[in-house]
Amino acid sequence: MTKVIAGLLLRASVVLMGTAIITFALLWNAPGDPAFAIAQARYNSFMVSDIANQIRSEAGLDGGFWMAFQSWLGPLLVGDFGNSLVTGRAVWPDMRSAVSYTIPLAVLGLVFGVALSVPLAMLATKRPGGWLDRGAVAIASLGAAIPAYWLGLLLILLFAVHLGWLPAMGARTSAHIVLPTLTLGLGVAASLTRILRSSILEARNQPFLPALRRRGVALHNLERNHVAPHAAIPVVTVFGLELAFLLEGAVIVEVIFARPGLGSFLVSAIEARDFPKVQAVVILTAALFVTVNLLIDVIYQTLDPRIGEHDA
Amino acid sequence: MRSVFILVLVFVLIAVFGPMLALHDPTQINIPNRLSPPSSDWLLGTDALGRGILSRLLHGARWSLGLAFLISVIGLCIGTIMGLIAAQGGKLADWLIMRTTDTFLAFPDLVAAVVIAGILGAGTGSLIFALTVTGWMRYARVARGIGLSLQTRGYVVQAQLAGASPLSIARWHYLPSLMPSLAVVWTGMFARAILGISALGFLGFGVQPPMPEWGTMLLDARIHMRSTPLQMIWPGCAVVLCVLAINLTGDALRDTLAEQDHLA
Repeated sequence: MTKVIAGLLLRASVVLMGTAIITFALLWNAPGDPAFAIAQARYNSFMVSDIANQIRSEAGLDGGFWMAFQSWLGPLLVGDFGNSLVTGRAVWPDMRSAVSYTIPLAVLGLVFGVALSVPLAMLATKRPGGWLDRGAVAIASLGAAIPAYWLGLLLILLFAVHLGWLPAMGARTSAHIVLPTLTLGLGVAASLTRILRSSILEARNQPFLPALRRRGVALHNLERNHVAPHAAIPVVTVFGLELAFLLEGAVIVEVIFARPGLGSFLVSAIEARDFPKVQAVVILTAALFVTVNLLIDVIYQTLDPRIGEHDA
Repeated sequence: MRSVFILVLVFVLIAVFGPMLALHDPTQINIPNRLSPPSSDWLLGTDALGRGILSRLLHGARWSLGLAFLISVIGLCIGTIMGLIAAQGGKLADWLIMRTTDTFLAFPDLVAAVVIAGILGAGTGSLIFALTVTGWMRYARVARGIGLSLQTRGYVVQAQLAGASPLSIARWHYLPSLMPSLAVVWTGMFARAILGISALGFLGFGVQPPMPEWGTMLLDARIHMRSTPLQMIWPGCAVVLCVLAINLTGDALRDTLAEQDHLA
């Protein structure tokens, strides 16, 4: 077990390092002169070559790829994300405030999605192929095809413009989180319902169920003690996927609803070509994903030792 | 199920022949005619620059569907080749390729695509690059998995003993077995590409104005949501119907294959 976990840790750090190198190489090779762009963004004036040169040495842009990479990675390893190229202020405080807007949205979206999909999947699997089941599958398929940005716009149109019940733009009051949560949560619910439904159906098909039934185990005990745990295993994997969905969704949803979270932070950083901010978001996201996937792998191997043998 | 295939066919026909059906030039600006309601002349009305929405939708099909097709096929080719190299090329190649797919899969692909397309500068070229780079890993995983499982099969071992090159084994022994599974992955990735293209377009990092791509149309329509809400409905409907039809086709394909596996 220790050996397996050490292997997984090694793999996770390789992935993180790969992400760091790929991101840095991408930004390094980005078209245009970043120093020029920064000089314009910061001083909003004609480019003076002194300013550009100063920015170049400040940001470590003048020493070649590996020099610049090291001068970025060194501080990063002790948790310093560097300074914004545009404002000159440290990246982390700004990013922390953005994260504080994204986390409640992601958590509420996930909770809403789970709260919607679990009963729906249970209702649907009561009678597979019945009208409830077909209705749930149809709704879930439709939900999976609706892009978050369109759903968000439709919800704004209905609840903010037409009915005037809820605010749409910004994050001033707690009511501002309702529409973004709905948008994100409905997407989560759509994919989760499909997966839950098929894993419950598969769990019901297991050969040990008729055997237990014949030994006199009551039907409701069977559902709770044998079907539910079996159906829960794929859900662990799905959690990793949902996390990706939540983050992607948050980027789009925050832009639509003008919510100052991590997604808006990323998009405005890209538009301003503020590379340290972009790098910070990418690294933070990758670290989050690697950690979650690592945990999932470890949980899996404890649940089912067979899994590690093929893949490690 | 037949209705789904018909829907897919309709979208393919629109993407191929749609521009011929459009009555108006989708990029011709006509300010006096801006934001006009649906009429016999402009069946779905006009947008903020007086361009016919129906014409833009029809032309947009070529951008949205055509680019998605291109991106998913490039991804299919790169992914399959990578997967087969990983399966056949020895431990080092396998390790390198699989860690690369880990790196890309460890990241929400739309966020990665936004970063790549945004940094490279908004435009169709960056869009294609960004969505291809973030869209080949699933094919590689599937191709490698099946490739590894075939390695010990009798006919593959015999071909190797008979001196067949890895390339010809890949071509004649691996590829035919890979096709069905890759087709299922492909439908999923095709739908994802449509969503990705329109999402990037909506964020302003995709196909650039004045070209009529569905996501870019939504971005334009968003500003005039209060006055002409219908303008926002059409491009969204087009994306949803398309993705839905492709996803359902993929499901049907997967079920058919699962049944065949079951019988075999």
